[in-house]
Amino acid sequence: MLRKILLTFSLLIFPLNSLLAVNWEDELGDHSGYNLKVQSIMDPYIDAVKEISPQFEAVTGASVTVEGFGYDGLHEKQIVACSQNDGSYDVLFVDGIWIGEFVEADCIEPVEDIWTAEGTDQSIVAWDDYISSFAGQAIWDDKKQCLPFGGYWHMLHYRTDLFEAEGLDPPKTFDDVLAAAKLFKDNPKYPDLEGGYAMNMARGSAAGQQFYEWIYSAGGKPWESNYPGSPDAYADQRGLYNSPESVAFIEWMQEMINYMPPGVEQYAWDERAKAFTQGKVAMINNWSVRTPLFNDPEISKVKGKFGVALFPHAAGAESVPPVGGWIACVNKHSKNKEAAWDYLKWFASPEVHREWVLAGAPPSRHSAMNDPQINAEQPWTPVLYESSLRAWQELRPRHALTFELIETLGIEVNKALTGESSAQEAMDTANKKIDRLLKSEGYID
Amino acid sequence: MQSEKIQKILFILPTCLFLLVISIFPFLYSVYLSLFQAKLTKMHKKFFIGWENYQVLLFEDDTFPTAIKNTFMIAFSSITIEIILGFIMAKIFFEIRHIKFSNALRTVTIMPIMLTPLCVGLVFLYILNPTLGIFSYILDTVFGIEPFAYLGEPIPAKISIIVINSWQWTPFMMILLLAGLMTVPNEQYEAAKIDGANWFHVMTKIEIPSILSFVLLGVVLRLIECIRLFDIIYITTKGGPGIATEVMAFFTYRTEFRSFQIGTGSASAVIILIISLIVTTIAVTLLRRVERNEGLN
Repeated sequence: MLRKILLTFSLLIFPLNSLLAVNWEDELGDHSGYNLKVQSIMDPYIDAVKEISPQFEAVTGASVTVEGFGYDGLHEKQIVACSQNDGSYDVLFVDGIWIGEFVEADCIEPVEDIWTAEGTDQSIVAWDDYISSFAGQAIWDDKKQCLPFGGYWHMLHYRTDLFEAEGLDPPKTFDDVLAAAKLFKDNPKYPDLEGGYAMNMARGSAAGQQFYEWIYSAGGKPWESNYPGSPDAYADQRGLYNSPESVAFIEWMQEMINYMPPGVEQYAWDERAKAFTQGKVAMINNWSVRTPLFNDPEISKVKGKFGVALFPHAAGAESVPPVGGWIACVNKHSKNKEAAWDYLKWFASPEVHREWVLAGAPPSRHSAMNDPQINAEQPWTPVLYESSLRAWQELRPRHALTFELIETLGIEVNKALTGESSAQEAMDTANKKIDRLLKSEGYID
Repeated sequence: MQSEKIQKILFILPTCLFLLVISIFPFLYSVYLSLFQAKLTKMHKKFFIGWENYQVLLFEDDTFPTAIKNTFMIAFSSITIEIILGFIMAKIFFEIRHIKFSNALRTVTIMPIMLTPLCVGLVFLYILNPTLGIFSYILDTVFGIEPFAYLGEPIPAKISIIVINSWQWTPFMMILLLAGLMTVPNEQYEAAKIDGANWFHVMTKIEIPSILSFVLLGVVLRLIECIRLFDIIYITTKGGPGIATEVMAFFTYRTEFRSFQIGTGSASAVIILIISLIVTTIAVTLLRRVERNEGLN
């Protein structure tokens, strides 16, 4: 029933002509001899980008080089390069939450300005086909700055074989998650398991982002005016990092850590996904971009033995699945912005997006989410689609201080998890530091 | 006379210009930036805030004072271990210096110094991995100790950093002390033998006083190196868990290149420089005093 409602809804909100084939020969310019450079995160979708890019090369005559970097390294490299007016890369894949910082630093050429000047056919951009919780990540200062392409949503991933053996339903609440994690940890029936659950707990971005991912479903909010459906999330940014809900959530994590694998205090995205892929944990919450890896027989021990469910929530709260992902931007300092824009509109178009998803990337458009072939190849898509429609776009701050703020928070969360301070102390310190940071830049009085 | 003076000035001018461009200007520019609220993403909007960056770093935020404390704790612990182990190793190599292959053995022993700290960090990251690491495996299979996160718990993480640092630099201390032992005149050993001195007397009355200036030189060089400690922290703990292994150089990098807070980062760089200057001056003064005393003796 839910799927039917979602399908009807999606058909109503995006134009059907967005799926009609585009004549790329007419649409794209001739860029023969130009080497277009794309700077990307080293996430699993990068292989799919490399796989489909030759199609662009065939039409335009350009050669495309895609280079991948780690999360923190990419941010550092992009901002430093921008400060030097470096145009080595034409297309920048940017985390949606960095948008405020990139606009402030004047690193990107707003796509809205480009397509207005060029008179680009809007059925190619098909903005309404993007899922709004993700599309909002590309908008800053009321302007569409970049094209969204790699939307991620969090789902709970669990081992169906283990849950069936124990007669358990997929967990819905925090209590369910805790009970299941407790059951699977050090259970002699499952000697391969090292823990019941795994979370991102490493100091810095990993632990900081983990807090934002869970706080809404824990019934809290990070700052006064940021809650699902808020008309202006940035109206009042006074921190609520030490609210009773925040502290209770950290205390819940402190309890959960007892049922996680040894060394989880240093887990970030890769370690968390690897633990599940190797069959070392019974459950993880994870971004959808890594879900296809669990079905890859070459690297996964859990192929066909896992299921997905909506992000869990605290008793009395609702599930607010985290949203994130990558947007493609034209480097303001690129030597060939025309080629960069051609690549962007080609790559992010519904038609090419579908091919990209079928090559193993995460779906980010309504059309892709409802595509029968994609649903057949990525059977978790219905849950993913439901998650995407429930998500809140302002999950994490997107202004210029976001990276520093998340890192500051991540240090304090990690201190609470490793026993360096209590949950209350850690979150009081986090709140104080974040408020001081925001004051120093004039975000709050 | 006048032309000789001009000639001298012309001779030192290139060096002065070189120093001005390479050292003095960047330092002065750092001091200048440290007085501003400045972010790399909006340098054109920087504004003067006086000593506020220093005040926040030193008195309002616990991270930088902890980083200073951690740096010196790691430095003193590592250097102490390095001196003790370095001396023992130097003694062994001194005793076996006439044996065949002792030179080859000495070369193998100093290999850790030749490795880049980045590689050393990576190697230990794998060794100390709680599930895949050899260290956990040995502790588990031989002693039945459950694996745990050596780099994920505050005290084990600090100990691990000290161990890694000492592992890499003990051979350096060993080479230095061995050079010191080589300078001890053979007559002193012979005289001690005639007087019936045991090994302890030889060590405390002859060897240690003779190599004291070498020890101090090692301490000065290693102290400067430890104040700049970065690579191993970056690879293994990234300053964590929490701020348990946060050190000054890593804090400065984080502030400058991850948060892009150029003003605060410059202030911390200036503080590091001042600390380095104080520590080095004290150490060099001590070194000179020891050398003077040795000369008198």
